[in-house]
Amino acid sequence: MKEYDENEIKKDLKIDAHALGIPEGAAETFINRTLKDAKKHLKNKSIITEKDLERAICKELKKYHADLAYVYQNRDTII
Amino acid sequence: MLILIFLQLSPGIFALTYHYALGKYSKNQASFLTLFFIIGVEIISACIFLSTYFLVSTLFFVGFRPETSVLTWILAGILIALGFLAFFHYFRPGAGTKLFISQKYSKGFKYSAKTIKTKSDAFVLGVMSSVSEFIYTFPLYVLASAEIVHLSLYGISINLFAILFVLTPLLPLFIIRYKYQAGYNLADIIKTRTKNKPFTRFILSFNYLIIAILILCFRTIL
Repeated sequence: MKEYDENEIKKDLKIDAHALGIPEGAAETFINRTLKDAKKHLKNKSIITEKDLERAICKELKKYHADLAYVYQNRDTII
Repeated sequence: MLILIFLQLSPGIFALTYHYALGKYSKNQASFLTLFFIIGVEIISACIFLSTYFLVSTLFFVGFRPETSVLTWILAGILIALGFLAFFHYFRPGAGTKLFISQKYSKGFKYSAKTIKTKSDAFVLGVMSSVSEFIYTFPLYVLASAEIVHLSLYGISINLFAILFVLTPLLPLFIIRYKYQAGYNLADIIKTRTKNKPFTRFILSFNYLIIAILILCFRTIL
């Protein structure tokens, strides 16, 4: 079992956002909103898998930036 | 050469490295840092190929001829096996372009790509990515060396072929580098790789099998 580390996810998303050329301020705002909304979706569950978390984050991210959501979703399927 | 262009491990790791470098550094810094990845791939490819070439040419000049050797049959057998491996094993089943390397190695590469800081990190990552595909490249190097030595008998300049063969693995890396510099991002690269996955699998497999058949037809004596 792994503990959910919001800061780690935020850090990864910020790196991805910077690489995709998203302005820092905008990225910060929608990453925070994404994580907040993803948390809302998952708050009823006591245990969640990494996939559940990833799915919830991607679903929310898609509303703001489709490429960032795609990169986050597929980051483990490249090699 | 076509096979070397279509192999996916080094380009995949390079795309990730460039992406994470862009995420942490400026465009110029990322471009400079990832150049050492390319140098790493080039140096190790050249080392492996030129060592193989040296070995094969030494054997050739002491009287070894592929046509009369059982080694040619072994090489053809290996290439047939690689043809089937490329079709069934090179890409893992499922979405995306997960490759044949173990998940532990894959995670290691991703972690290294993510935490790259210095030029030597990039260089070593390039070297490791190229070495990890050794199983798919080494038989080709042996075959290319034998053929280049063979060409020298007809008075054809062999240096050009050797240089071309050494430079070929860099072509996909330079294409990815150009794409990033032209404004494409990792999402575009993943989409292209995923879309072309069946084609890549087919080309790799088809080429290994065709080369094996050509060897059996023209380089063996029954």
